[in-house]
Amino acid sequence: MRVAEITDAGVRERLAAKGLTIDCGAAVVRIQSDVPELAAMLRLLYGAFQIEPDDVVTDASVMLRLARGSRRVFRPQIELWLDGNRPFERYPRDTPLPLVEWGVNFALAKRLHCYLLLHSGVVEMGGRAVVIPAMPGSGKSTLTVALSQRGFRLLSDEFGVVRLSDSRLLPLLRPAALKNESIDVISRFAPDAILGPRFPKTRKGTVAHLALDASTVDERHTPAQPAVVVFPRYDPTVEFELDSVPKARAFGRLAVNSFNYEVLGPDAFDALGRLVALSDCYELRYSDLDRAIDAITLFVRRADSATTLEEPAS
Amino acid sequence: MASSLHELPPHAHNLLRVLAEPEAVTSLSSPEWDMLLRSARSARLLGVLHARLATKAQAFELLPAPIRRQLVAGQLEARYRRHKAVFLCESVARVLAPLGMPLVLLKGASYIAQGLSLADGRMPADVDLMVPRQSLDDAERLLAGAGWQLEKTDPYDQHYYRAWSHELPPMQCAGQALELDLHHTILPPIGRLKPKTQALFDASTPVGDGKFRVLCPADQVLHAAAHLFQDSDCVGRLRDLVDIDGLVREFSAKDPAFWDSLYRRACLHQLGRPLWYSLTLCCRWLDTPVPEEAASKIFTDFRPPALSRWPLLGLASQTLPPVDPDSEPSATRRFFATLLEFRALWLRMPPWTLTYHAFRKGQRSLVAWWKGTRIPST
Repeated sequence: MRVAEITDAGVRERLAAKGLTIDCGAAVVRIQSDVPELAAMLRLLYGAFQIEPDDVVTDASVMLRLARGSRRVFRPQIELWLDGNRPFERYPRDTPLPLVEWGVNFALAKRLHCYLLLHSGVVEMGGRAVVIPAMPGSGKSTLTVALSQRGFRLLSDEFGVVRLSDSRLLPLLRPAALKNESIDVISRFAPDAILGPRFPKTRKGTVAHLALDASTVDERHTPAQPAVVVFPRYDPTVEFELDSVPKARAFGRLAVNSFNYEVLGPDAFDALGRLVALSDCYELRYSDLDRAIDAITLFVRRADSATTLEEPAS
Repeated sequence: MASSLHELPPHAHNLLRVLAEPEAVTSLSSPEWDMLLRSARSARLLGVLHARLATKAQAFELLPAPIRRQLVAGQLEARYRRHKAVFLCESVARVLAPLGMPLVLLKGASYIAQGLSLADGRMPADVDLMVPRQSLDDAERLLAGAGWQLEKTDPYDQHYYRAWSHELPPMQCAGQALELDLHHTILPPIGRLKPKTQALFDASTPVGDGKFRVLCPADQVLHAAAHLFQDSDCVGRLRDLVDIDGLVREFSAKDPAFWDSLYRRACLHQLGRPLWYSLTLCCRWLDTPVPEEAASKIFTDFRPPALSRWPLLGLASQTLPPVDPDSEPSATRRFFATLLEFRALWLRMPPWTLTYHAFRKGQRSLVAWWKGTRIPST
């Protein structure tokens, strides 16, 4: 049963009891909460996800709680609990969804050392992955989401999950987080896309989330093989500039922009090396999203289809 | 063991049971596995759990993927931290070599250096190194020259550490993932228990290629016990008890005279009481094997008076295990933790010093609350 098939009240009940358990692909997440308004937000943004049974093993279980005492009434606050610990400061009550999403991302980034976690968006087409590493202000999220609205399948907007055994990219599906101007850009670019409520005045500015569709969610266990790496930079003064990036340099840039490269050491070196060896690496400076998407589509089609990885032994 | 475990909440019960008997995992349901993994992670024992399951429970490869991947994540993080600890030690050995003084590794780093199996899966957060007191300033100077910096603390903290504590503030260095804690003894010198520091050095032995030394086996156990029950508030420190269980098992297996040595050294250092608490809980929770003869001497001669031991065992039972992953720490647990924090302070310094320290801390807390910022605790 998908989340959208139960009512807001149904979601609220689950959140208050055993929680809403979601299989995001590379990880299973559970959310519990006593904040009533969170239910409708989650139902909108996780609508296409299946509700997993309560008794599965989770990779991250978070609990969003109304603060106790005076902070329940006077300038009410909420707090995020992770396995009996509260990793963040309290937040105002009007930002429940961003806090939950940041909490889950925080937990996953710290724990999923079974994979190499790149800080990148990942989409795929025809089984070929496009890894889009995140540089600050690069417009990575905008580009990743835009690609997912033009024929590419979204694997993640934040975590490039690389399987250590064969460097395939794994989906880690979460509502895609858009910030500030990006929200308007995507609204215009994809008028049919389901966007959640806007949260102004968060630490990252205004934040909104994109819901994923059923076809994306249903492919959450379908990996993609490395094919293309694109280092994007949105620059309104540049029409379109494309450079090839030498593989060694691409390796370095990916490694420093990773959540856990250092922790994994030699395993990360091997997995990332294999990924880069199999990928065509580019740097793209653009102001026109459509043109960037066309270029990336071309890269994927050009990617050497002869380099097919063997299926790993299961 | 089962009868004493029933006073613990289920998540702690399962964690301890599985640590003592890894084969018990075959009877766990999915929700119990979920709790076990979360509790182990919270207690920083996920890597140890992996190590025990991978070696002892034959069915590790048959575990479902969602369970295996979390255990493997623990293994990989532990591997990283171990590597970083070794890297730190080698770097510090080079820096301190000119002084020609004994460099005694304590705790986690010493378990790694000795190649003890209890080091498998541990997640050290820092490296503890003990040097003679008269060499402390020179050591600090050499380390500073190599880029090691003391954690930024205010003048009061600096005084606290240098005058009253057994260690300097933690030291950090660019390029080092772990911190270095430089000790000159194992308990605060103004504390209630005063182990014989010179005897610690005299009984230490070289390890590996001889750049470092480690305490003798009995002293290692006593240090771990003292660290837990004399110098900490016990909160969430179950892993320290797991260490003590591991040390005792490994050392007693290698040396039949270990128990005798442990008893004698406990008398020498006057650390019988923390040893009593440690072994009592280890036996209750982790089935630590203690031979009858040793047990009768240790548990009788070092037994604290009832007025001390009942409260402390009760408080420790509630605070040592990790907090229930599904809820915030209960008011009871927070209260017990506060009591144990006071106890640790009481043991750490004489009453007048304690009063002054409490006053200064209270003052600083008020200022921080006023400014709405958080401060690290001393």
